[in-house]
Amino acid sequence: MSEPRENILVHLLRIDRRYIYLILWLVIMLPLIFPFRIQPKPTPPVQQLFNYIDTMPENKALVISVDFTPDTRAELQPMVVALLRHAFAIKRRVGILAISVYGLGLGEEAIREVTAEFNAHALTHEDSVIYGEDYVFWGWTTPVLTVMLGMGERITNVFPVDYYGNRTESLPVMRHIKNYDDIGILTSIAASAIPLSWINFAQVQFGVNLSCGITAVSAADFYPYVNSGQFIGMLAGMKGAAEYEQLVAERMKKNGMDWALRNRGTEAMSSQTAAHLAIMGFILLGNIAYFATRGKRK
Amino acid sequence: MNISTDPWVWIAAILTLAIFSFLYKENPFYRFAEHLYVGIANGYAITFYWHRILVPSLFDRVGAAQTPLTTKIWLVAIAIIGALYFTRFIPKLSWLVRIPIAIVLGYSCGATIPRGIDAQIIRQLKATVVTRASFANWHTGLWAVIILLGVLATISYFFFSTERKGVLKPLSYAGIIFIMVGFGASFGYTVMARISLFIGRLQFLLSDWLGVVK
Repeated sequence: MSEPRENILVHLLRIDRRYIYLILWLVIMLPLIFPFRIQPKPTPPVQQLFNYIDTMPENKALVISVDFTPDTRAELQPMVVALLRHAFAIKRRVGILAISVYGLGLGEEAIREVTAEFNAHALTHEDSVIYGEDYVFWGWTTPVLTVMLGMGERITNVFPVDYYGNRTESLPVMRHIKNYDDIGILTSIAASAIPLSWINFAQVQFGVNLSCGITAVSAADFYPYVNSGQFIGMLAGMKGAAEYEQLVAERMKKNGMDWALRNRGTEAMSSQTAAHLAIMGFILLGNIAYFATRGKRK
Repeated sequence: MNISTDPWVWIAAILTLAIFSFLYKENPFYRFAEHLYVGIANGYAITFYWHRILVPSLFDRVGAAQTPLTTKIWLVAIAIIGALYFTRFIPKLSWLVRIPIAIVLGYSCGATIPRGIDAQIIRQLKATVVTRASFANWHTGLWAVIILLGVLATISYFFFSTERKGVLKPLSYAGIIFIMVGFGASFGYTVMARISLFIGRLQFLLSDWLGVVK
């Protein structure tokens, strides 16, 4: 190899990491400002979850457990939003709880966003999404074991008051969601191993159907539970959220709800793709430089 | 461009930039934002535990006239046991912290272990078994066989009770390949996760704060 080229490669191996941060910043930021169209194709775990909720009996509720903290909001919040939109679009009752105290604000933020979207387009009382009738936010309580086991007996015993301080017994929706028997599927959106606790305590003990939405970091750990059927479906990271957003957008369009809503997961896919290409380039370049200059560095 | 006029958005944006400034080098703005985050997160959690758990489940119930005396005694006794966690701060009494830890540990283990064996071992073993139903499609059959081989090969790699020769040698080598593929998948997902978090912050800065992206 010629001397100047070799020097460039040696220099690349010693490059200040801040240049890499700067390149990544630009690579991620530019597609957000000037996006190119990326439409993720739903993977089987995402499609399975969508199909299950979509065909769930009318008397069964979707329960979303907001088990994450603000640091993973970017990946997981779009999942909560998409699940809420799906449930409200097909008129299924929804119950929301938080296993993490930090998930309370995130849960409420998602509820406010989605209910505002639906109520802004509602022409009749039937079209509206009403608190206490169509959905309930149970809030948070502790310890985890008591929540997961107690909900199998009676949810109002675990959450005597909801997030807003109302007696849960007084809410009409609670006549239809008494315990796990009334829940079609419970989805734990988490950045930890909490979905496995739901398997241990809610599924093994009471046989409730489960699914999860998890950060991409932990996706590889949860695939075996999808394979075994313990989770009906799974949303993995921001890409999983984007896939679900696409499916929900199609469903809403079919139901006459073509509202041009903001899909944060889908919006991020062009940046995600550009960043992945850049990182693959860095890895390749780093390896080429390493092997090409191995002799010289010795 | 439609810059936000909401002071909370500005505070969040400035703190985000303060945290990102660490990428350049360690600095006081980063330190301030980091300490503020830790303090607020703890304060938030403590407030919720106080108002949502201790007040309604302990103080209100113990103070209520209609609560039976035996319930009150139980509640106070449990509260005292819980308060023993604070003996950590008194060196002479710090051994007492073992009491609440032992209770929590015993309760958690008793509740978790039997269910964990069912959920994490028996159900997973069942899912690994290749049956006629696994071959409903050619691809599901193929994956079922690959999963079975992967599990056997990986377990054989961690089998240290005998020398790796005979069948065990190629099987454990195959195990290394499966483990490396697993590491690769995990690393790929980790990259995706970290990038996603950064995208989330940029979406906030460009959309909610600066209004560049709608």
